[in-house]
Amino acid sequence: MKAITKRSRLGKPALVSEISFYIILGIFCAACIIPFIFVIIISFSSEESIRSIGYSFAPVKWSTSAYEYVFQLGDQLWRSYFNSFFVTIVGTVTSLLMTIMYAYALFRKDFKYRNFFTFFAFFTTLFGGGLVPTYMVCKQLLYLSNNYAALIVPALISPFNIIIMRTFFISSIPNELIEAASIDGSGEYRTLFQIIIPIAKPGIATVGLLTALSYWNEWFLAMLYIRDAKYIPLQYLLMKMQNQADFLFKNASVIGVEASKMLKDLPSASLRMALVVFIVVPIAFAYPFFQRYIISGLTIGSVKG
Amino acid sequence: MKKIVALILVACMIIGAFAGCGKGNGGNGTDANGRPKDHVTLKMYFHGSNVSDDKKVLEEVNKYLDEKLNVTLEPIWGTWGDFDNNAVIAINGNDDVDIYFTCSWSADEYNLFAKRGAWVRLDNPENNLLEKYGKEVWNLLPEVLTTGAKIEGSDGFGVYAVPGYKDIACQLCWDINVPLLKKYGYTVDDIKNTDYYGLGEILAKVKAGEGDNFYPLLIEGAVAERMVDNSIIVAGDSGSTNLLSYYINPKKTSDLGAYGNKILNKFATDEYKKYVTKTREYFLKGYIDPGLANAEQANNLRSEKQLTGQYLIGTQSYSLGYETQASAERGFEVAFVGTTPAYVDTTSSQGAMMAISTASKNPERAMMFLNLLNTDPYLFTLLDFGVEGVHYTKNSIGEVEFIENERAKYSPWTNGMGNVTLLPPQKGQGADFWTKFKAYYGAADKIPILGFTFNSDSVSNELAAVANAAAEYALTLSVGAVDPETVLPAFLKKLDDNGMQKIVDEANKQLETFLKNK
Amino acid sequence: MAKNKTATGTVSGRRKFKKNIILLTMVLPTAIWLILLRYLPMFGITIAFKDYKIYTKAPGLINNIIHSKWVGLNNFKFLFATTDSLKMIRNTVGYNLLWIFLGLVISVSFAIILNEITNKFVAKTYQTLMFFPYFISWVVVSYFVMALLDPTNGLIVKWQINNFGEATNWYHTSKPWPVILTLANLWKNTGYSCILYLTAITGIDKTLYEAAAIDGATKWQQVKYVTLPNLRTMIAILLIMNISKIFNSDFGLFWNVPLASGSILDVTQTIDTYVYRSLAATGGNLGMTTAAGVFQNVVGFVCMLFANSIVKRIDADSSLF
Repeated sequence: MKAITKRSRLGKPALVSEISFYIILGIFCAACIIPFIFVIIISFSSEESIRSIGYSFAPVKWSTSAYEYVFQLGDQLWRSYFNSFFVTIVGTVTSLLMTIMYAYALFRKDFKYRNFFTFFAFFTTLFGGGLVPTYMVCKQLLYLSNNYAALIVPALISPFNIIIMRTFFISSIPNELIEAASIDGSGEYRTLFQIIIPIAKPGIATVGLLTALSYWNEWFLAMLYIRDAKYIPLQYLLMKMQNQADFLFKNASVIGVEASKMLKDLPSASLRMALVVFIVVPIAFAYPFFQRYIISGLTIGSVKG
Repeated sequence: MKKIVALILVACMIIGAFAGCGKGNGGNGTDANGRPKDHVTLKMYFHGSNVSDDKKVLEEVNKYLDEKLNVTLEPIWGTWGDFDNNAVIAINGNDDVDIYFTCSWSADEYNLFAKRGAWVRLDNPENNLLEKYGKEVWNLLPEVLTTGAKIEGSDGFGVYAVPGYKDIACQLCWDINVPLLKKYGYTVDDIKNTDYYGLGEILAKVKAGEGDNFYPLLIEGAVAERMVDNSIIVAGDSGSTNLLSYYINPKKTSDLGAYGNKILNKFATDEYKKYVTKTREYFLKGYIDPGLANAEQANNLRSEKQLTGQYLIGTQSYSLGYETQASAERGFEVAFVGTTPAYVDTTSSQGAMMAISTASKNPERAMMFLNLLNTDPYLFTLLDFGVEGVHYTKNSIGEVEFIENERAKYSPWTNGMGNVTLLPPQKGQGADFWTKFKAYYGAADKIPILGFTFNSDSVSNELAAVANAAAEYALTLSVGAVDPETVLPAFLKKLDDNGMQKIVDEANKQLETFLKNK
Repeated sequence: MAKNKTATGTVSGRRKFKKNIILLTMVLPTAIWLILLRYLPMFGITIAFKDYKIYTKAPGLINNIIHSKWVGLNNFKFLFATTDSLKMIRNTVGYNLLWIFLGLVISVSFAIILNEITNKFVAKTYQTLMFFPYFISWVVVSYFVMALLDPTNGLIVKWQINNFGEATNWYHTSKPWPVILTLANLWKNTGYSCILYLTAITGIDKTLYEAAAIDGATKWQQVKYVTLPNLRTMIAILLIMNISKIFNSDFGLFWNVPLASGSILDVTQTIDTYVYRSLAATGGNLGMTTAAGVFQNVVGFVCMLFANSIVKRIDADSSLF
């Protein structure tokens, strides 16, 4: 024990390990960001360059045609940006509220139906009725069609997030705290909102981040339930352009003249990359908002050794 | 657990209560002018549209339709990107769509969905829709189309959709980069006068001249194989990799081919072996881009090289007037050399169709509408080209010139709309375009088994297994990326192990029955 | 004495009852959502056992299902009709097991390292960068991989030709693909699970570290005796969740990244890609689609119950239920 104390006081191994930490993670993060840089480079490459030398870090010629192509969408682009923000914000807040309440009840050991409801939620991650029955229930029973609700409601609950949230509660909230609050005569809702939530902030921020990202990335719901251009979110708007290009490439020989005419004007390869940029940039700006809660939790947690 | 089971049961009951609602009856009762009495809205699902503003067009269309049929049309403008997914979900989910675009190559495939009960049989003796409301269009269509539309479906053998009159014949061609060919002292005739096996000298010369990174032979493996072997796709074959071949006669396509009326395992013929052996030779000499052997890369690579002229000889399916358009789009002279005369097979006769959904509450009115759309030049032109003076103008010889700004906001897919011969010619096509069109396609021969579609239901397990085996070998073999000496026998063995023979036997059995009944 | 006991008994009983009711109200909104959007559509599972046809006389999903013929397990047969059944199951389960293990080790280590990095600006930057792959779809990844491995223009291929005169035919050589797929998977998913562990670390009681430091524990000992034991619940939960998906695979990864190339199917074919090709071949029959999903989920469910019971035996608090 003594020997160990001595060595750690010297500080040398700690320094070495810290430097190696920086390097290991640094390499991994470089691997994460390089493909994104690649994406940006391709999005500014000219189509001729891609056609002649393939996808390359050093294109022969630069071009902004992919971006011009997207900007042709005009008002629809900004409308879709708005829709995406609206759906993400409303969806995330509602979803978080529901998830927190459900997960909190599951976290409470003294809740009589705890196991039942845990299973009740988890069962649905494995078994579902499939696409078509769900589509029919949503559209014909719940009228989720051509409205914002159609983009928000079907994605409100993720059993995975409920379980994760419950796990965060278990690992960060001591049981004595609940007992103490209950002895104080604090109501269940008051306990949850005034005592538990402030403590569980990092966990909530994490689940919030994951929910927001999934709402932001969501295009499948729009494809199923939205026909009216007014409600189309950004992801689907861009996805549609991409699918169109893919379909035309695949079926060019069947469709013939009209397909090759469209393909000629389509900066297909650079377009795909530009679309990634359009999607990532806004969320990259929103990221620090969530991260503040997560990393601030760390700052307190990490004690100098 | 018990509670969950109970919950599911309750849920099923609630759903059950919502199911099943009666059908309306839109066809009965007409006023003095023969206009049906009740007003009806028809929803129609189109493919390939590029429409962001249809207000002006629909105003005019619906004014006209209201007068004629007491109908309001509500189009759903499916795009190339979303139709395949959405239409299938809409059909399976029982959406209230009256008319769907369907054909032999989209995801809501005509034969499959007719079998599954998605389409109303139009010549069903019970409703006789075609007889009562569709006579005009039926009489106007060429016989190859009406024959091709008759299939085995949920309500017996009959017509399940109205075929569109577009480029109905199929012709596979060598797509030739003419300036490059001339650069090396050859002419298009040199290619006409030889065949695939005799291209070696030309390819060698061009490869030597253009350098290592140039690949003169830009083929779609499966298409090139069909062109070289004179085999065609059997309708109803696996949708991913074709497994079956029917050999046609390259001189006269209405006569029997090398194997008579027989369906063959595509990969087991001598012709196939000869083709892949030659292709392997071409591949090893560097005439074929190795990227063409990667399934997800091949399509993009080919389209891109075709558009930029980085090829000498490619493969292309032809339609009338394609040389001029292709030359204009690619910016160099393109020539097409067909390996057979144009012919009509089941697949090409079902290239674009309109089917009435069994979920439609007004199938009678839908039939009346389809009849009018396919016979009335005013309505068809309005719905496809837009409003005259707003979306287009006509020049002195009656050709259509589009007003680009407006047309960009309203461009449905012409070939997916029905009888395109009702349209006025477009600029550059010439006033007699449609006469030429009808002459070219009218002259096309029917193959002996036109109308035959293989029903794979009884062998679907084998088909799934065999198609996966084919995914492993067929593409690489057909572009020469692997050595047929070792790979072909392994491939054939795997096909046999997975039940290929059963599929071939079943197909031939069905073909015999079909020919007997014909 | 006895009287007194029953009195407090009923009081606490009533209190318990009231508390349970209030907790039920918290569960209610989500429970209703689950019933409507998850349990209600489950009647569709029956499609897996039917020859699904549209009932032309009065179409509607319920009518269609009721009037379709029962075919027993017929729709499941195609999964086993091939000589490659074992191969694709081996690939699916094998990759999953490997990636569950590697993912766990790497994500937990990265989370701990991030926590130990004293410069919080660097930690923040690293953590942000790790999330970028989440946004890049597999199709785009496949372009990136193609930029490296393309048979004519690929960077690695060119480098190989310049140095060795000959290049690997990457898309037609099976050997490197298990490694490539593993790297791609780790690259994409580490950021996601890392953030979960990271957040779990923030929940650890700080006094535990202080106590350990006072006892003279080194960094490594703190990790071993404080951090890891406190992460066990999160580790167990994610493990159980992953095991429940052991028969599923990430379609985009196995389809797009190898460009659906045929020659390497022996290491890239999974249940999902097989099902996809089968459906494309036979025309997307709804019964077969549903059957494939039911098969994967039933097996996953059994595995999950098994994993849960093992976890429960080791540490009851960490199990799912």
